[in-house]
Amino acid sequence: MKKVEKLINELTQQKLERQTRRHFLMDCVSKMGGLALAPLMLGCDSGSSSKASAGLNLSQRDLNPLAPLPPPFTGKAKSIIYLHMAGAPSQLELFDFKPELAKYHNQPCPESLLEGRKFAFIRGVPNLLGPQANFAQHGESGAWVSDFLPHFSKVVDEVAFLKAVHTDQFNHGPAQLFMQTGSPRLGRPSLGSWVTYGLGTENQNLPGFVVLTSGGKTPDAGKSVWGSGFLPSVYQGVQCRSKGDPVLYLQDPDGMSRDMKKNLISAINTVNKSEFDQYGDPEILARINQYEMAYRMQIEVPEVMNINDEPDYIHELYGTKPGSESFANNCLLARKLVEKGVRFVQLYDWGWDTHGTDHDGSIDMGLRNKCREIDRPMSALLLDLKQRGLLEDTLVVWGGEFGRTPMQENREGKTQSFLGRDHHGDAFTMWMAGGGIKKGASYGLTDDFGFSGIGEQVSVHDIHATILHLMGFDHEQFTYEFQGRPFRLTDVEGELIRKILA
Amino acid sequence: MIEFILPLFGRFHPILVHLPIGILTFGIVLVFISRNDQTKYKDSIRLAFLLGGIFAVLSSISGFLQYQHEGFTWETVQFHFILGCATAIASFGLFYEMNRTSSSPKNLKLKSGGLFALMLFTGHLGGNITHGEEYLIEVLPPELQNLIGYEIEAEKGLVLPEQGWEELVYYDEVVQPILNQNCKSCHNPKNLKGELDLTSFDKLLEGGEDGSILTAGNPEESALYSRLVLPKEDEDHMPPKEKKQPEKEAIELIRAWIDLGATKSSKLGESSISPETLEPFFHRVEKSFYPEVAVEAASDESLSRLKSESFFAEKVSENSNWLMISCVNFQNFSNQDWSKLTEVKNQIVYLDFTGTQITDAILDSLNMLENLTVLKLNQTGISGKNLQVLNSNKNLKHLYLNKTRVDLPSIQVLNEHPILEKVFAFDTPLANNETKEKFNFILEIGKYQLPALPTDTIVY
Repeated sequence: MKKVEKLINELTQQKLERQTRRHFLMDCVSKMGGLALAPLMLGCDSGSSSKASAGLNLSQRDLNPLAPLPPPFTGKAKSIIYLHMAGAPSQLELFDFKPELAKYHNQPCPESLLEGRKFAFIRGVPNLLGPQANFAQHGESGAWVSDFLPHFSKVVDEVAFLKAVHTDQFNHGPAQLFMQTGSPRLGRPSLGSWVTYGLGTENQNLPGFVVLTSGGKTPDAGKSVWGSGFLPSVYQGVQCRSKGDPVLYLQDPDGMSRDMKKNLISAINTVNKSEFDQYGDPEILARINQYEMAYRMQIEVPEVMNINDEPDYIHELYGTKPGSESFANNCLLARKLVEKGVRFVQLYDWGWDTHGTDHDGSIDMGLRNKCREIDRPMSALLLDLKQRGLLEDTLVVWGGEFGRTPMQENREGKTQSFLGRDHHGDAFTMWMAGGGIKKGASYGLTDDFGFSGIGEQVSVHDIHATILHLMGFDHEQFTYEFQGRPFRLTDVEGELIRKILA
Repeated sequence: MIEFILPLFGRFHPILVHLPIGILTFGIVLVFISRNDQTKYKDSIRLAFLLGGIFAVLSSISGFLQYQHEGFTWETVQFHFILGCATAIASFGLFYEMNRTSSSPKNLKLKSGGLFALMLFTGHLGGNITHGEEYLIEVLPPELQNLIGYEIEAEKGLVLPEQGWEELVYYDEVVQPILNQNCKSCHNPKNLKGELDLTSFDKLLEGGEDGSILTAGNPEESALYSRLVLPKEDEDHMPPKEKKQPEKEAIELIRAWIDLGATKSSKLGESSISPETLEPFFHRVEKSFYPEVAVEAASDESLSRLKSESFFAEKVSENSNWLMISCVNFQNFSNQDWSKLTEVKNQIVYLDFTGTQITDAILDSLNMLENLTVLKLNQTGISGKNLQVLNSNKNLKHLYLNKTRVDLPSIQVLNEHPILEKVFAFDTPLANNETKEKFNFILEIGKYQLPALPTDTIVY
């Protein structure tokens, strides 16, 4: 044994002796190159250094990526509920009253509107399509709302309308991505991801960014509309189902008691802890934290996602039917989640693409049915948030991904059997309410046909800038370093819409 | 001679100046490393002074040409030019001395040191002209800047009063501030880009190298406006695309001024400008929601202690010392846990006890929270019998009592509160009684309903 040791010692001795001054210097030089190369390859970095550059608390964040952070400025809102009507509702039947358009109903569209234009389905010269709803002014603000939304017309004094929003996309997928991530192409983080990345979340037992869908389908753009893009994936939206288990695989399997689960997790974490003591990798601590959070969520998520215990008058107010998947249930859930300190609740309701190709997609019938599905719930949501005082610091945003044409759609140049409107992004209506929003405001003017904005137009970037402002961010300063340059939600654009701020 | 030769040679000034600097520095270093009795480097030193002198002359000539052709004023360049010539003369002087004697001239080190200082100072003045006088100071940390007595003099943007803006003198109080903020750094008497000076009305009228930039009543024909609205990619776009761009409202203000006749005396109110356009410039003293007194920041240790106790404890914003505390993850919080919060009692402005185990007794402790602005007592055992103690929380604005047992008499005492703005009492005994009573604050009792409509059931 002694002999072996002696041999080993001899070998190391020899090795060290061969390491000359020249070797050392040469190593120094070649490794210098590596040092120089490192900053050039920042794009491959997982993002820990860029967090520091954004002024976030590194250590706290590495342990728990959803730990709350103070906003750079005092925000007006703490939470957001975003109601996205996937498919794009017709502004001309809901909020943008155009009596002039009615006069020209069924007449050929003037060439000047069509020149140099491309539409998704309209070909040749379509006829104009007058408003298919009856409008009236409501509330003290005198906002125009159609009889498609009779309940909503009673709460208009709570909201601020943006009536000349424009987008440059006219297909659902890209337009939804643009509306939710600030870019029509894949790869950017969604609004909810940005907000939870910047602020974390208040309730550590619940996800910070929850997504609820209704209408039978998820948005055309797929799950990227709540994706985290280049942000760490922990900031992507967590889709909760309103039927069955809200979050899949969160329930314990049969035969696994909660105590057993607790022991299991504490055993895993003990092993992870000793691993951390040995290697000091913060990723291990983050993993320990994730296990504990999942364990805590097992209790709180099913509790908050259960609407059965709500009193009857609340169910009546929202028009909820527990056990089904509906926009009404999702609205009620949104309130419950925000009440429990969830940062961002994103609702998608599918079925607004009213081309007039069938009964459900017709402007005068299908759209009416669709409106009835959201009218009571969204009005109830505003009232319920208001009576609980949650509207003080919750921002509610409503809108689609674009608007619809004042022209009757003529797919393949033929007259259709139902009334329909094509995709149109030049001017459409959105509204916001709650934290920091001026009640009863209306901003934006459109021409007599509702075809284009003619004043106070706002872009998708402007809306993002305003939302971030209300959450306490300067959209120009809120960046994330990726592929060698800082990225913003609003990229290089976006102006605050001051006129709708309280 | 072909006309472009001179200005072209002038533009080589920034390159040429480095030659005398390098060569003379080399010579001066040699002077300092050779011992007094040594003559080893003498030839090299002599050559360095000769070449340095020659290039110093060339630099001075090119510099003079640049001054003549590029719109610099004599005041800006005079010292740089004089010292540059002096450097050239001094180099030749030292060369002459080195030639005259076989041994080293007297006090050579001192003289070369002087030459070096002269050259350095000349170079510094030159740098000031190209990069601006703040070039070196800008990058220093602010404390150091203050130490050397330098004050950051940022050009203030346009600020207008919300009342009486109609009476403002359009040029002096609106246009000139916009020009100062967006154009002045390149168009001033010292830095006459395009031979244009935008620091006063008279200079503005004089125009630049392409003549007048103003056509009264016609913004599109006035370069002062039209170049602002060119596409950013256009090389004539102003300000250059890499510089900060003026707000679109500022551009609109310039347009309306030219439209109005571009006079010195017209008033802002005479133009077509609407208050909406002025909105971004109104000086609003936004009243802060939280108290406007300064408190010390809570220590990081207290914050992390609170967080480890499962409180949500966060500053209102990064630069604020106010704290928001919530028990959303500490639902077992009871009166005994109060002591955990006392170390941050001065910083708390927002306190959320929703769903916790607190009782009426805790309200007596709350009066130590002098800055408390929002208090949420929802879904707790608060009965409302001692709500009057909250009258001593002078900064309380929003009080949440949803789903508690408060009733009408218990809330009436809050009428004494000096500034209380809103009380939320949804789903309480109070809300269940019809009350016509008026309060000094907004009382929200909810119970909203959306009555059923015939249309609710019609399916189309």
